[in-house]
Amino acid sequence: MNKKMKLEAMWLVAVLLVLGMGAGLELYSTSLPNFSVAEKDTSHTNLPTNSNVIQVTGEQWAWLFTNSTGQTTTDTFTVTVNTTYTLVVQSDKGSHQFAVIHDLYFPQFDIQIYAVPGQNNSISFTPIHTGTFVFECVEYCGYDHYLMRGYVKVVA
Amino acid sequence: MGTTVLLVEIVVIMSVVFAILFFMYYKYLTGKTEADYEATHDDYYDYGSYLRDNQRKGGFFSTNNFILNDSRSIGMRYLMTAIVFFFIAGSFGLLMRVSLIEPNPTLFANNTVLYDVLTTEHSILMIYVWAVGGALGMAYYLLPSFLKLKSDKYGSISSTAYWIYVLGAIFILLSRTSTRWYFYPPLALQLNPYGAGAYNWLAVIGMEMVFIGVTIASIITVRTIVMDRSEKVPLTKMPLFAWSILFTLLMFLASAPFFMSALAMLFYDFFNPIFFTGVGSSPLTFAELFWIWGHPIVYIAIIPEFGLIYEILPKFTGKKVFSYNSGVVGLALLLPLSELVWGHHLINSGFGLHWAIFFAMTSFLVVIPSAITIFNYIGTMWSSNKIRLTTPMLFVINGIFDFIIGGITGVMAAMTPVNEQVHGTYFVTGHFHFVFMGITTGILFAGIYMLWPTITRGRRYNQRLATWHWALTAIGSFVMSMGWTVGGFLGMPRYVAGYFARYQVYQDVAIAGGVIIAIGQLAFLANMFLSLSQNPSVSTNNAFEDAYDNELPFDDQEEPEGEPIKTPAPAGGR
Repeated sequence: MNKKMKLEAMWLVAVLLVLGMGAGLELYSTSLPNFSVAEKDTSHTNLPTNSNVIQVTGEQWAWLFTNSTGQTTTDTFTVTVNTTYTLVVQSDKGSHQFAVIHDLYFPQFDIQIYAVPGQNNSISFTPIHTGTFVFECVEYCGYDHYLMRGYVKVVA
Repeated sequence: MGTTVLLVEIVVIMSVVFAILFFMYYKYLTGKTEADYEATHDDYYDYGSYLRDNQRKGGFFSTNNFILNDSRSIGMRYLMTAIVFFFIAGSFGLLMRVSLIEPNPTLFANNTVLYDVLTTEHSILMIYVWAVGGALGMAYYLLPSFLKLKSDKYGSISSTAYWIYVLGAIFILLSRTSTRWYFYPPLALQLNPYGAGAYNWLAVIGMEMVFIGVTIASIITVRTIVMDRSEKVPLTKMPLFAWSILFTLLMFLASAPFFMSALAMLFYDFFNPIFFTGVGSSPLTFAELFWIWGHPIVYIAIIPEFGLIYEILPKFTGKKVFSYNSGVVGLALLLPLSELVWGHHLINSGFGLHWAIFFAMTSFLVVIPSAITIFNYIGTMWSSNKIRLTTPMLFVINGIFDFIIGGITGVMAAMTPVNEQVHGTYFVTGHFHFVFMGITTGILFAGIYMLWPTITRGRRYNQRLATWHWALTAIGSFVMSMGWTVGGFLGMPRYVAGYFARYQVYQDVAIAGGVIIAIGQLAFLANMFLSLSQNPSVSTNNAFEDAYDNELPFDDQEEPEGEPIKTPAPAGGR
């Protein structure tokens, strides 16, 4: 084994070590209790039975939020701090030709979830601070895509 | 009665047209036969190279490149097309940037769909014409001398492929589509300004034509590399650029059919929506088919440039490449790994946790070949006694620097928790602009500067303007991509004509970067026109091909230090 090959082996080992750390970080962070990723849930098998389920409908170009009491708000909704909520997201065609793909994204809650026509996706989150936070659509959905955004209020 | 007259008229017109066509073909064939005879007489392997050598005027703007069918002319065609479309798509990018100076739409205030059209055209043209076309141009141009080709007999098919390709690109430009480069249905089926634009179907046809053209060109180039090589260039000592082109084109041929078939189904859906919006079908199927192609394409855009770096480095460091074998392995590993990672583009679409973790893990593996390649570059530069900081070398160093940042942000984005934070934001835009500005654009420009005496027929580029071009491109792309990366990590969404006021500072930083890049490209144009206004002063040889003029191929040969040796052009020259 000459000097050159030794150096190359060292690179490879260093890279593999970094990769191992990355993989460990991935497995650790996805196993944390408050971690949640979008899951396909068309038949509602994973839904909790409490009243903290919010039905979300994306259409061109607005987000409709329906809480457990049946109240529907457009581009804004209110949640209580330190409570775990489950969002069930779907896409609707509204007054347009097709229902298209949207993507609901809460930058400050670190969650995002696609709204896919004909498929319900669910994700859960727990707000830990009060205040007003933003949400946006981050999958291009036509003319007024950039206006498909709003505010979520977290109250005590 | 009227019908008979019409028929007679048609027959007469057709006869005249065919007579003219036949006459043109006759003239072409006579000229070709003569040129063939002369070329054989003078030891050229094809008449195209002979004509190029014996018609010394023209060059970069010569129409000969569009008439002759030898590999070099076709390569020059692709390069010229790529540069023209780079400036078209680049000006689209600049317009988009400037329009985002305020949180609310400014330039396109009453017509925000124009922003969407510009974004779509910018992305499609930059990837399929600048990156892919530029790589094909370099391949067609350089491979004949790198591999000392025995024959070059598929020129007419290559030429046909080029025209299909460029017509497709023009169709995409004319279609004014606003569907984004991934053509997701059902939005792509919404043929009105509120969806994908009224002429989106033309963009789908254009995409298919681009694919058909590149597929034909790929098959011919793979055949050239594998079968038409001279015996003097064994596979084990083939230049690394030829390896990189081989892997790129195999990757293209392996993954493009997924998107080609998806586009065909999409086109059928325009008339009868059954495939992606029908009962029991999911639009996500299209997204999956797209990303099986969509991830390899981003490697297709950089691997040829990795190969070009391997050719540029020995020239200016005075050393041969640190490790030829790990260079080949590094390029080769990207081929299988690129096919495994497509799911990380759809982690939030409802795949669920297990799929997300699987695709995050496979995405980490891509680090191995990239790191091998980058360490190989650094090793080559490290072992050098003296690095000559010419413009191409500056582009290479900046490319390596940018690729490290772009690579690390890319791996970060593939991790599931980070992906939930940054997917669909400017973080991703920043990540791939680091790579595409540093590697694709930078190294293609480095290659163009290396080829400068050849493409301008014996002019030297202005060193000062070239350095300004490099400096402004490097600084501008760093500022722009960094503004996006930081803003995107804080949640700035991409693909939007307006945004929340809290992101304005990051957008404005990116605009400053974009304007700096645009000024830098003006330096390139000025350099080009300055060269064309001068008289030829140097040999039309270029440093790329001179490196392979000696008898010994690549690995056995110590590069001489200092100025490269100028040897006379071989037969079958340029």
